[in-house]
Amino acid sequence: MIKKNYLENLNNSKKPFIIYRSNKGFDLYTDFSKKIILTKNNIEKFINQSTKLKYKNKETDLFVGFFGYEILNNLIGIKVKKQKGLKFPKGIFYKPETKQKLPNKLNYKNLEITKSKTLFKININRASYKIIFDKFKKKIKSGETYQIKICTKYRNKTQIDALDFFCRLVKSNMAPEAFMIKDKDYSIISCSPENLINKKNDFITTKPIAGTLKKTKKLNRIKALAFFKKNIKESKEHNMIVDMERNDLSRICKAGSVKILKKKIVEEYKDLYHNVSLIGGKLKDNISPLEIIKAMMPGGSVIGCPKISTLNLLNTQEKESRNVYTGSFGYIKFNGDMRFNIIIRSILNYKNNSEISVASGVVIDSNAKHEFNENYIKAKALMDLYK
Amino acid sequence: MIYIIDHKDSFTHNVVHQFENFDDVMCDNHSEINENKLKKSKVIVFSPGPGAPKDYPRSSNIYKRFKGKKKIIGICLGFQQILHCEKGKIIQQKKIYHGYQSKIKVTSENSLFTKNRKFKVGRYHSLKLKEPFAAKNFEITMRCDISNVAMAIENNKEKIYGFQFHPESFLTENGNLLIKKILSA
Repeated sequence: MIKKNYLENLNNSKKPFIIYRSNKGFDLYTDFSKKIILTKNNIEKFINQSTKLKYKNKETDLFVGFFGYEILNNLIGIKVKKQKGLKFPKGIFYKPETKQKLPNKLNYKNLEITKSKTLFKININRASYKIIFDKFKKKIKSGETYQIKICTKYRNKTQIDALDFFCRLVKSNMAPEAFMIKDKDYSIISCSPENLINKKNDFITTKPIAGTLKKTKKLNRIKALAFFKKNIKESKEHNMIVDMERNDLSRICKAGSVKILKKKIVEEYKDLYHNVSLIGGKLKDNISPLEIIKAMMPGGSVIGCPKISTLNLLNTQEKESRNVYTGSFGYIKFNGDMRFNIIIRSILNYKNNSEISVASGVVIDSNAKHEFNENYIKAKALMDLYK
Repeated sequence: MIYIIDHKDSFTHNVVHQFENFDDVMCDNHSEINENKLKKSKVIVFSPGPGAPKDYPRSSNIYKRFKGKKKIIGICLGFQQILHCEKGKIIQQKKIYHGYQSKIKVTSENSLFTKNRKFKVGRYHSLKLKEPFAAKNFEITMRCDISNVAMAIENNKEKIYGFQFHPESFLTENGNLLIKKILSA
C-alpha cells in the first residue's frame, strides 16, 4: 500500500500521472518512459505496434491514454472540417513503468485552491440550441437520423489542481470508469460511468447506458426500473443503442455469438440510477485491435444512430472541436487485451482553459427546453467543483 | 451465398449476423458493389439505412437487374427500396417509430406465415408505404395491429420479400425463424 503523503508528493513533483478506477479502488500509473502524441498519420501504426510488443505478463506492459473525438472519426474515414477550439492534441498515450494500487478513498485535499473568478460561459445559448434542435428534428422526420446528440460547452479560465478536483468528484460521484490524467500543460478529470470496450482474450463486452434518473428518498431500484419501463422516450433511446451496439460487435464477433448478457437493468450510483445493458460476443479469429477500435469507436450511445450519417450531420453542425469529449480513455495491453470507456462527464483543462462538454439526445419526441436544461444539470455537477 | 447490400446503417451487421446462421454471407457498401459476388449470390438482401429509396439509385438498379432471377429480400429501407422500384410511393408518416416495439398481424391467406398470427417486432422508420399500392404478384401480408401500416410484402412467385420492421432487432420475437422460413421458401 502507498504511503500517506504519496499522492501529495507526487502532485507536487510535477511528474505526469494517471489514475483509473479499478474494481476495488484505483490504479495509479506513473514513471512514463514514452509519450505518443497521436495524429491522423500515426494512429494506425501506434495501435498495430502497441500490441506487437513482447508481453511478459507485467502489469505495466501496456499503453494508457486517450483518443479524442476527431481522430476516431478520421479512423473510420469521416472527415471533420476545420473547427475552432483549444488546439488540443487529438490523442495521447503513455507507457508507464510503475503501476500502484490506490484505495477507494483518496486522501488528498488542497486547501488553498484558487477559486474561480470568472463565470462559466456557454457556447450555444438557449435560442440557438432551439434552432439546431428543430433542424435535427426535421432530419429525423426525413429518416436521415433516428437519434442525434447535440453537444454544448461550458468554458472558463482558471488554474486548477486537477488531483484535488478528482478527489472531490469521486467522493460525490464515484463512477466505474472514472479517471484523471495530469501532465505538464493539461489535465482531464472524468467520472464516466460508461464502459465501451472490455476485451479479455477472445471475449469482448460493451456496456451502454441510456436513461438516467436522479435519486430521491422515495425511490429504490425497483421503482427506478418501473420508471425506465414506463418512460417510452427513454426506453426507445435505449433500444436503439442496444441494437446499435449489437451491430458494432457483430462486425468483429463470430456468427451467433453476440448476446445481450444483461438487458435494461438498473445500476445504482451515489446520486443516480442508470438504465444499463451489457452486450458481449466472441471475437472472430485474427481480428486485430485496430479492427476492434474501428468497429466500436466513437461509442454510439453518445453520438446517435445510425452512426455514420449521424456523425456527418453532427460534423457539419458543430463549429467547435469536441476535443476529448465522446472520445475514449483506457489502455491497450501488449497482448491485445483492452479496456476503454467513453469520455463524458469530464473536464478538460488545457493551458488553464477549462472546458466542460455535455450532450443530450434528440429523438422525435424530445423537447428542446427539457434537453437544454438537462445539459445544464449534467454540467453543473462539474462546475460546482470550481466553487 | 447471401449478398447483403449495406446502406451505411448501424443495424446492417445485425442482419449479417442473423443471416450467417443459415448460409455464407458477404456484405459490401452499396457504393462498392462487387459484380462477381453479385452474380455468384443466391440471395440479395437490401439492408436498412438512413434516408429514402430515391437516395440509393444503385440499389434500385440492382433490384431491376435481378428481379425474378434471384431471391431478393429487403429490410426497412430495403423494403421501401423494393416498393419504390415497383412504383409504390414512400411518404413521411405522422407518428415516427424509432426503437419502437409494436404488435403486428399476418393479414393474408397467401403468406408463408399463418394468417391472423400476431407477434411483437422492433421498428425504426419515419417513412411508410402510401396506399393503395398494387403491383403484379405482390401482396401486403403483414400490418401493424394498431395503425394498419404495411409491415411486410411477399411475392412468392418471383421470390421477393420485404419487411418494414427489423427481424434482426432484439425487439423482434422469433426473428430467426422468420428469416429461416423466407430463406427456405
